[in-house]
Amino acid sequence: MESFERRKTDDHLAEDAWSDSLRGTIIPDKGWTQHYDLVKEMGDCHASMGDYPRARQCYDRAAELAPDEAGPYVGLGVIHLQSGELDEAETAFRVACRLDPKSSKALCGLAMAAQRRGQDQRAFDGYLKTLEIDSDEMTALLGLFQVSCRMGSFGQIIRYLELYLEMHPGDLSVMFSLAALYRRDGRLQRSRELLERIMLLDPGHAEAQNLLEEIDHSRVESIDRRTTCLNPMG
Amino acid sequence: MRSKTGQLDGPLVTVLMSTYNRPAYVGQALESILRQTYGNLQAVVVRDGGQSVREEIHRYADPRVVFIDRDQNRGLPYSFNEALSHARGEYICYLGDDDLLYPYHVETLVTAAQNHPEFGVIYSDLYKAHCRIESDGRRTVLAKNVEISRDFDRFALLQFNHVLHVSLMHRRDLLDRAGPCNENLICLIDWDLTRRLSFYTDFLHVPRITGEYYAAIPDFQQRCERISSRKQKSLNRYILNHLTIQSTRPSKPWPKMKDLSLILLADRFSSQTEQALREIWSHTFYPYQIYLPLTRSELDQLQRKTIVPNILGVPVAEGCGKPERMDAALRQCQGEYVAVIPDTWRIGFDEVAWIEKSLYPLLQGDSVSTAYELVGSKPENWGIVLDSAVLRSARRHYPNLPLRESLISAGVNIQLPQQSQWPFQLENLITNAEYLERNGAWLDAEILYKGAEQQFGNGLWMKIRRANALYHAGQYDAAGQWVASINDQRPSVSSLMLEARIRRKQNRLSQALELFQKARDILEGSEFYHAGYANGIV
Repeated sequence: MESFERRKTDDHLAEDAWSDSLRGTIIPDKGWTQHYDLVKEMGDCHASMGDYPRARQCYDRAAELAPDEAGPYVGLGVIHLQSGELDEAETAFRVACRLDPKSSKALCGLAMAAQRRGQDQRAFDGYLKTLEIDSDEMTALLGLFQVSCRMGSFGQIIRYLELYLEMHPGDLSVMFSLAALYRRDGRLQRSRELLERIMLLDPGHAEAQNLLEEIDHSRVESIDRRTTCLNPMG
Repeated sequence: MRSKTGQLDGPLVTVLMSTYNRPAYVGQALESILRQTYGNLQAVVVRDGGQSVREEIHRYADPRVVFIDRDQNRGLPYSFNEALSHARGEYICYLGDDDLLYPYHVETLVTAAQNHPEFGVIYSDLYKAHCRIESDGRRTVLAKNVEISRDFDRFALLQFNHVLHVSLMHRRDLLDRAGPCNENLICLIDWDLTRRLSFYTDFLHVPRITGEYYAAIPDFQQRCERISSRKQKSLNRYILNHLTIQSTRPSKPWPKMKDLSLILLADRFSSQTEQALREIWSHTFYPYQIYLPLTRSELDQLQRKTIVPNILGVPVAEGCGKPERMDAALRQCQGEYVAVIPDTWRIGFDEVAWIEKSLYPLLQGDSVSTAYELVGSKPENWGIVLDSAVLRSARRHYPNLPLRESLISAGVNIQLPQQSQWPFQLENLITNAEYLERNGAWLDAEILYKGAEQQFGNGLWMKIRRANALYHAGQYDAAGQWVASINDQRPSVSSLMLEARIRRKQNRLSQALELFQKARDILEGSEFYHAGYANGIV
């Protein structure tokens, strides 16, 4: 579990999950959105480097250049979120949602704000909604994982983690988290298989090694218990 | 050679500009001429009617400016011809009244002309600045794209213009042969000019971005109106305009263009013949002259009926057979190449190179003694293109045989052109690569771009496509190397942005920001203020 937790840092939020998928046109020197894309991406870079005033300037300019785009408001929401300004963050994400109701990042931002406020059910619903739009949205997956852990409901998250792994079969931290969930869900064989795959890909993965040992240990204990039950006299 | 002041010594260059109802931009455009680092300049500005711009022009009080202030609106070609009559320069450049030249534009072109005097036309690259017009008339730049950066291709130029008007400089004396601007045209005036110039000289491409031309983005409502009005009002005029350009034959001799004589064979003049003539007119972009062997009465009929240009009637006797008709026409033909087509030949509606597919291998010099059949030829409906000297020789030796048999007897190799011999291979490769890109096959696309560059040059254009494909394929190191080499040579907004995105993926954020900032500076006008012009636009 720990490795999964560690990945959910502010840095990760700003840099990876929140950066737009470098929209614009796929062919250079085509399209009309170049200036907007450029300023928005500069904003993302500044935000990643923690320079929020410059990031804000860029997002403001980007919003001027393309008033109908949700991206700058998502960027502003992230800055507010990282600054602990939850009301402002929610406002920005709501504007983004209004401009683009299918913006998975804006929905995810709202869910994150809810999570920060301790509104686990709202956050849970928000993350699920995000993943329905974009099952590849890592931040929502991470958020859902955290909230699920707190709420003790794993059914939904296992489904999304499996889906994610189908698309990103080599993602060790998601593999590990899924293995941990299988174990918690009592699906020890599946957990074990996944952990062995991790060890194959990364023989030095200490957490996987530990969990594997824990599973083996608990199996031995369970066999011992069963043996003791069958033969109470030893 | 440079003078003591550091300015390049060289010939007088005249920049022509026509303006109509753009007082907000014309001053900036003129300023961009007067700010050239190349000093030996003359600017001829014509007000083609519309709002007064006297104040904007006189603000500069520069003796190099000739201002023709005309109230009547006569159109762009007329205005350019009027401006030309005042031009004294050895070379001519052009500027739109809402466009901008960077300060090094003329110097770049003159330097290239001095280094390569064999070229009569030099052209550079330009940004197409897509902009939104705000309510107060200001232009907000949304993108600056180098939409065309193509090495000179005479054959391609016959079909579409890849040399932007504002980017070119040509010797003035070339117009003595190519002729002035065609005042009957309503659009594509620049293509008409470059097409005609290409009959007389080679063009040199200098792949440096030396200016920008503006294209306002209409809002949705305007877009709809524009499309419908174009469809309803001017589509026919546009097509006619296009056909006029395509069928223009400037005065001979053509040192750089080989002529195509097209013999159209008909048993008699009929609606079928008329249809064939119309189809040839609307589908042929290579310069041609049609030779039509008919009886005198049929030729009179033809003259009354058709508007198709470039037809030369060849009178033949009544009852004359096809071989005799063809031989009569052949005696008149002046083209280096000749095509023989029956009037039963039909050209597909969307065919873009019906005869050019068979002509192109000959132009490439594949083999002089090869004749290429038209694609789609059948024994009963057969057309051919070949060197006219080869055809003459075959007919001289075997005058009594039908055409095909005479060619075979003369040892002419008759072939159907292979698809790989057709023209526009570069365009095909790019279309295929873009298809692969749309389907996510980025590495396959990269291979196509690489092959295209090896075969057809256009290095910068292909390299940026390759770098972009590698970037999308996730090969950041390779993409980064390519795009860095492009940016060393000729940075553009999109190449700088591409490198910035690659650096970002490589987690080199400071470097990414520097590159983004450079691109942003260009978008926000830094090139215009180049060479120490830091005070902004007046």
